[in-house]
Amino acid sequence: MRKQIHEGRERSALRWMMLSQSMMTFGGGIVFPFYLIFVKEIGGDFTEYGIAYGLFTLCSAYLNGVFGKSSDRYGRKRFLLLSAWGTALLFLVFPIVTDIWQIYALQILMGVFGAMQKTCEKALLADMTEEGRRGEQIGRYHIGVSICSGLAVMAGGVLIDLFTLDVMFYLGSIVLFLSGLMLSGVGEKTPT
Amino acid sequence: MRRRVWGLAIVSYALLLALSIFTRMKMPAGEYASDVGRLMEIRVHKVVHIEQTDDIVDALAEAKRKKLPISVSGARHSQGGQTLYENAIVLDMKGYDRILHIDEDRKLIRVQSGATWEKIQKAIQPLGLAMRIMQSQNLFTVGGSMSVNAHGRDLGEGPLIDSVESFRLLLASGEKLQISRTENAELFPLVIGGYGLFGIILDADLRLTDDAVYKKHVVPLDYQAFPEYFREQVLRSPDSVMAIARMSVAPDSFLKDMFVTAYLKTDEALTEDLAELNDERFVGITKFAFGLSRKFDWGKGAVWRLQKKGYLVEEEERISRNNAMRPAASFMEYADTQKTDLLQEYFIPVDRFLPFVDGLRRIVREDELNLLNVTIRYVPKNKEAMLSYAGHDSYAFVLLFNTKRTAPALQRMELSTRRLIDLALEQGGTYYLPYQLYGTTRQIKEAYPNIDAFYVAKRVWDPGLLFMNELYARYGR
Ligand SMILES: Cc1cc2nc3c(=O)[nH]c(=O)nc-3n(C[C@H](O)[C@H](O)[C@H](O)COP(=O)(O)OP(=O)(O)OC[C@H]3O[C@@H](n4cnc5c(N)ncnc54)[C@H](O)[C@@H]3O)c2cc1C
Repeated sequence: MRKQIHEGRERSALRWMMLSQSMMTFGGGIVFPFYLIFVKEIGGDFTEYGIAYGLFTLCSAYLNGVFGKSSDRYGRKRFLLLSAWGTALLFLVFPIVTDIWQIYALQILMGVFGAMQKTCEKALLADMTEEGRRGEQIGRYHIGVSICSGLAVMAGGVLIDLFTLDVMFYLGSIVLFLSGLMLSGVGEKTPT
Repeated sequence: MRRRVWGLAIVSYALLLALSIFTRMKMPAGEYASDVGRLMEIRVHKVVHIEQTDDIVDALAEAKRKKLPISVSGARHSQGGQTLYENAIVLDMKGYDRILHIDEDRKLIRVQSGATWEKIQKAIQPLGLAMRIMQSQNLFTVGGSMSVNAHGRDLGEGPLIDSVESFRLLLASGEKLQISRTENAELFPLVIGGYGLFGIILDADLRLTDDAVYKKHVVPLDYQAFPEYFREQVLRSPDSVMAIARMSVAPDSFLKDMFVTAYLKTDEALTEDLAELNDERFVGITKFAFGLSRKFDWGKGAVWRLQKKGYLVEEEERISRNNAMRPAASFMEYADTQKTDLLQEYFIPVDRFLPFVDGLRRIVREDELNLLNVTIRYVPKNKEAMLSYAGHDSYAFVLLFNTKRTAPALQRMELSTRRLIDLALEQGGTYYLPYQLYGTTRQIKEAYPNIDAFYVAKRVWDPGLLFMNELYARYGR
């Protein structure tokens, strides 16, 4: 009986997690395909676009290790929340930047939050799934997240025809913020 | 307690969201505008699409209220920000394009300034009329063409100012003036060739001529033989009406091989077939060929051979005046985000043709410029406009370069352009202002000796500098 309740809670936690991370992908996904246009509007060219993207990836590469380790200590949900809300706030800054260096700075911060999200999402998934059924559970989880990222790209395509890029960033930001709120439904075993 | 924290987070987020949106809205409206050169993207306050005179009056009032400058744009084929200015209200005149009146007997047309030549041709061709002068393509607007005082390929016609009877101008003061060679005459040579700096041209009365049948006559020759040939055979011939010459950019005949296409008068009747306006033929193929020659030297050679064959085939071909004035241009449209085609134009006194070509060849080779196309038109002396570019009977060299849009590549282009301008000035020539603003202050003064008087007049008629563009910002202040 006890075990069942526990299992139910776990299952719903996994569902909240899926919902939250799906929204996270969605929020980012409606903006990213148009990122290049954005860099160009600020006056950058392909080189600068490359630099901006490279900064993002390099930054998050190193930090993955750092955050992975800290999440063992301080809890992963905390980092996922920080990542969602942090990115949501960064998205509020994009519409008001005027210079390419500001984009570089934003990209570095995006890299920081990106690393938090990537590592902690995987680690938390591992925590929340049970040995023996892990593949099945992660598979189901990924169906949801992937569908959302596909939908996001399509929705982005439609929306960008209707709105300016600024509006896209605001929409993305709101969705990201909500995805953070969803995490409140994810219970986490307190780390020992 | 937990609730409290979440609530606080939501409220803070909402505040930050509002703050960001508020800041965004206080920033300039964030419309970016550019022209065909796509070299500068300038953040303008906004673009107003004009359809009627009231729209212009309203925009003027708004600009004064908000203390913003105004820039005027037509088809935006100028390439150096002549239609743009930082944080300006840009009036896009293309929708202000009604044909107001055609007087068949006096051969006059009154049109609003946003009308393109294409629209005018469609209206006057059925009446057996044609333009006296216009650029070699028909996609430009009347206002934009008057403001640069465009020239064409007609041997006997001066620049556009010659065919303007009168026009109406909306001044910075809000006053509408009728301007001709007899009324408010001092504004006539200022506004035509005045790059939109004196006011907004509302509508204009332009002189027309009869449509007619011409016969093409194509002659290939070496550039050394060109000056004499053109003087003796083309200009002296009572039958030649229009002419254009083309120089090879292929490596093995670079700026040496050329051919001249002259359009000769005939007394043949204008059949309906001939009179009907043609649309561009072979755009796809020409575009592809042009693409090859942008990229490769062998492409340049192939295109030259093709062109030569093609033009020679046209020998003796009959063509109406209207159709002779509307050749293809869209194959030149070019949307590569990393590169751009830049047009430039130099006016060289007819007797300085050879030294200019030799100098041009040297500079293009030394600076390794990617020169795609060279055409030459004859422009008879005309000093009516204040910023006249034709102080002598001249050849107008139209050069098309392809360049990367990166800062170092453009800087190189800027330096090379200055060399080319100096070359033109040394030969007693000038350069054309609708293109990139690469010339130095010294160069523009040498080419346009009246330019200081032009600036003084600008400040008399527009003391608040309401009408602004990058050209005036670069040189006038
Ligand atoms: C492919 C190509 C070929 C060309 N061939 C030729 C040629 O054969 N001969 C030639 O002379 N030139 C030629 N040009 C140059 C061309 O004539 C000028 O760029 C001309 O200004 C283009 O007209 P537009 O309608 O695009 O004007 P825009 O570029 O829109 O405007 C040009 C100027 O006119 C002003 N202006 C526009 N409308 C008004 C108005 N209603 N009232 C007041 N000011 C106004 C603008 O403020 C600006 O300063 C060529 C250009 C290109 C790109």
